[in-house]
Amino acid sequence: MVALARRVSQDGTVQTAYENGTGPVRPAWRATPRPPLVRQRQGKVIAGVAMGLAEHLGLPVVAVRVALVLTSIPFGAGLVVYVFLWATMREVGDVDPAVSSAPTLSPGGPIATGPASAGTMSGSPGVRQHHVDLAGLRTWLRSGNQAVIITLLGVAALAVAGALWLGGAGLDVHAELILPVVAIVIGAIFFWSQLDDTDTLGARRPVRWIWLVVGLGLTILGLVGLLVRGTNLTELWQVAGAVLAALVGVAVLSAPWILRLWSNLRLEQAARIRATERADIAAHLHDSVLQTLALIQRQSGDAATVARLARAQERQLRSYLYDEDARAGTLGAALTAAMGEVEDLHGVPVQLVVTGDRPMDEHLDALVKAVREATWNAVRHASPPVSAYVEVGPDAVEAFVRDHGAGFDLDTVPDDRAGVRESIIGRMERHGGTARIRRRADGTEVVLRLPVRQPNEPEASSAGGPADPPAPVTDPSSTAGSHPRSTPDPDPQEQAS
Amino acid sequence: MTDPRTIRIVIVDDHHMFRTGVRAELTSLAATPRAGAFTLEIAGEAGAVESAVQVIKEQRPDVVLLDVHLPGGDGHGGADVIRACAGVQSGADVPVRFLALSVSDAAEDVIAVIRAGARGYVTKTISAEELLTAIGRVADGDAVFSPRLAGFVLDAFGATAGEVAEIDEELDRLSAREREVMRLIARGYQYKEVAKELFISVKTVETHVSSVLRKLQLSSRHELTAWAMGRRLL
Repeated sequence: MVALARRVSQDGTVQTAYENGTGPVRPAWRATPRPPLVRQRQGKVIAGVAMGLAEHLGLPVVAVRVALVLTSIPFGAGLVVYVFLWATMREVGDVDPAVSSAPTLSPGGPIATGPASAGTMSGSPGVRQHHVDLAGLRTWLRSGNQAVIITLLGVAALAVAGALWLGGAGLDVHAELILPVVAIVIGAIFFWSQLDDTDTLGARRPVRWIWLVVGLGLTILGLVGLLVRGTNLTELWQVAGAVLAALVGVAVLSAPWILRLWSNLRLEQAARIRATERADIAAHLHDSVLQTLALIQRQSGDAATVARLARAQERQLRSYLYDEDARAGTLGAALTAAMGEVEDLHGVPVQLVVTGDRPMDEHLDALVKAVREATWNAVRHASPPVSAYVEVGPDAVEAFVRDHGAGFDLDTVPDDRAGVRESIIGRMERHGGTARIRRRADGTEVVLRLPVRQPNEPEASSAGGPADPPAPVTDPSSTAGSHPRSTPDPDPQEQAS
Repeated sequence: MTDPRTIRIVIVDDHHMFRTGVRAELTSLAATPRAGAFTLEIAGEAGAVESAVQVIKEQRPDVVLLDVHLPGGDGHGGADVIRACAGVQSGADVPVRFLALSVSDAAEDVIAVIRAGARGYVTKTISAEELLTAIGRVADGDAVFSPRLAGFVLDAFGATAGEVAEIDEELDRLSAREREVMRLIARGYQYKEVAKELFISVKTVETHVSSVLRKLQLSSRHELTAWAMGRRLL
């Protein structure tokens, strides 16, 4: 019940998300609640902050970007705002348990930017054009040089800012002050750029340790440079030693702490994964097993229905447990599905054994249909156990469908005769195969054979191959006379003509 | 099998309902007179690895009906019971024989108990009559294969792809005759029917099946060893 309720609420969420985010017409300002403030993955240049901000405010992306750059020039305010937002904004798609109804869960999130800006701003085609132009640049940026570009931009902005500021104040430019600050900023950007572990196309990328090391080194150099301004080299070494000692001390003291935090995080993560898995399994069991059990209880008087329900449920559970979806599109999967269908329709279990496997094609499809028809005949007219064995060999696929009891009598059931002729024998022959029906003392066996080509084998060889290949198993028709036990039916073999 | 005799069995399964069901079915069926029949004595029951080993050592039955999945032991279920009972002999001074029973047809479950030493494998959906036949066969030291197990053997030994052993003693491939027998069993044939089809005696069919069983237990064929290694059985 819990699972069901949860799923309903999720459906509701998706519904809401659709209404909020991707509605085709978006009234300009207050008509709908604002989209949440999240960083976008698609179409971002640095970290997606400007994109997210633009969507949240309902402004064009270009305007936001220009504003950020302009405000960076005097005092670096825009840069500070950018970095602050980068650190605090969630990225689209990151699941925040606190915001369970967040429309960001909708896959349409990033796409929503298009209509959003289109609704508010006539300049949106320009935005798109802009993105196309940037595509080549972005692919280059994605190769990990992003930080370099950011750095260069940062250096330029700071240099301009410094010159303007100091020049305006009538002061000399202090290189020994500016350079360490620049180094610190660059180092920090290097370091933090690795926090953002997605690239511009939204794909995950590994953390590059070299950037971390370079960033850390630059920052430390900058700090040291800032502190030792105006002192000589020997003192510099002392200060460097002091800084190093302090760092080591901090590292040693905080290491156990960080380790415990880390392991707690891992434990929590593992627990959450387990909980999700359990919820998945509970949902599956609820949908399948519990429903079937309820049905069985309600129909407990009807033995045939109960058996059919139980069998169908068993099959479904088996395919769930043994992950038979993995071999979708193969002969084995098609046969399993076909036999399941027959079982469902008639309630008679069919024992299916398949050895070898190969991908489906139209000829194999005909074979599956013929096997299905033969099995269908068996469950209707004969008595169980019904078994089907399909062997995929190097040059032919052979199928045997066997039943027990009286079997279907071709003479007394003329309709079925046509069905057998057309659906089994005719179908097999149209696809270059053969079909035989063997009457045995205790049942009937339908033997189907379909020659197949190896993928690298030329077409011609299969055209000559299927002419009349004898079945590898001893054919009773050829030995009927000498057979110690003669079958009740004098004609053990029936070939379509 | 002509002279009337008594086969003593122990039923090992962790589901009490299943044990009760099998006991009831087998008792009523074994009581009815049949040609060449044996009488059946259910000597004991167990629901876990440790209790099973204890019961088997006390009772020394001819055949143990062994569930593949059992609680206790080293976590290998039925295979643990077979290993722990290695060398235990029945009243007739032959080793205790094990017939594996399972709800699952999954190859890895089957292979684990077969390689541990079970003489046969049937699914729990088997009819009581067939189960009785299988018990008799296993008591005689022969092997019992379900159609699914036969199909797996054909796959694992590359018989479907046309690999055939040059000499019968070769462990990694089936001989041509063994392959035919396995194919017929996979098609749902009883031993009797297999014998008729191939013009050989039922005893010869049993010999072939036993030989396949031996290959299944001893072969170092890649597919088998991979499974066994994955389950830490070697």
